[in-house]
Amino acid sequence: MKKAAVFIFAIVVVSAFLFVSAYSQEEMTFVDNSVFTKPERTPSIFRHDEHNEKAGIEECNECHHVYEDGKLLEDESSEDQRCSDCHELKSSGNTPALIKAYHTNCKGCHLKEKKGPIMCGECHLK
Amino acid sequence: MHDLYNFVTGPLAWAAFIVFIAGSLYRLINMLYLVNKKEKFIYTYMSFKYSFRSIFHWITPFATVNWQRHPVLTIVTFAFHICLIITPVFLLSHAILWDESWNISLWALPDGVADIMTLVVVGSCIFFLVRRLVLPEVQYVTSASDYVILAIVAAPFITGFIAYNQWINYQLFMILHIISGEIMLVAIPFTRLSHMLFSPFTRAYMGSEFGGVRNAKDW
Repeated sequence: MKKAAVFIFAIVVVSAFLFVSAYSQEEMTFVDNSVFTKPERTPSIFRHDEHNEKAGIEECNECHHVYEDGKLLEDESSEDQRCSDCHELKSSGNTPALIKAYHTNCKGCHLKEKKGPIMCGECHLK
Repeated sequence: MHDLYNFVTGPLAWAAFIVFIAGSLYRLINMLYLVNKKEKFIYTYMSFKYSFRSIFHWITPFATVNWQRHPVLTIVTFAFHICLIITPVFLLSHAILWDESWNISLWALPDGVADIMTLVVVGSCIFFLVRRLVLPEVQYVTSASDYVILAIVAAPFITGFIAYNQWINYQLFMILHIISGEIMLVAIPFTRLSHMLFSPFTRAYMGSEFGGVRNAKDW
């Protein structure tokens, strides 16, 4: 009886672990804003796969760009990095601050394509 | 929605700022031109000392007899004017837009504080409205345009508050917020909102005349 309880407990723990690790990009619903210590706004709503399917984005580096000396490296991609690895909370040199980087990357493209959210509250839901 | 947003934040915003700035300059230059043409003699007693003495008294709460006689109005009018100017200039979402459009980084108010300051502006407008309707001495000098001006001033704050809290229809209220702000900018040089431009000059003139000619206080 005790053995069965331990077994069931183990299954619950392992499946919970698997569930959490599966909750990655495919399940992503918000942009991770944990680097901001006291965010004024709610994290931006963003469903990664749904967005890319709708927007017809095939290449990772359309968003996950790499810049060197102010120049976009066409063939490089940065999806294995966090945005905050390059973009700090304050801008430095040519590298925009993290907030501005997010806004320019998302809103900039939406304005160009005339599709998608462009006003504060369309992403930062109350 | 993109086309409408691009229009109200693009050409319409440029038009509003150009009319506001050029209109304000025109009104100020025209005022100086008229003074030089018709009332040049006031330069004989215009004085920086009496001008600033008067301005200083009138921008300090309760530093004039009139402010002391109307304590509630004094508190409301100071709170109103401070919040009216500070909130839009230092609002976080506006600071973000300044940065995105012009690379200008402004210090920004926490959203919670701006929320309260917005309510102060709207509440003050209601106070001014009731005051105009109720007090006979105010009613006597009130015309229809005074109510319109009050609505023009309150509108950007009411629509902004509704949009920020994402009530009713967010996108609609954002567009209304932008348009109402532009209406207010355009109205400043050409309505009684122009006291924003003229009040230092009228105060300076009064201060100089009372100080230099009548040897009296004007506060």
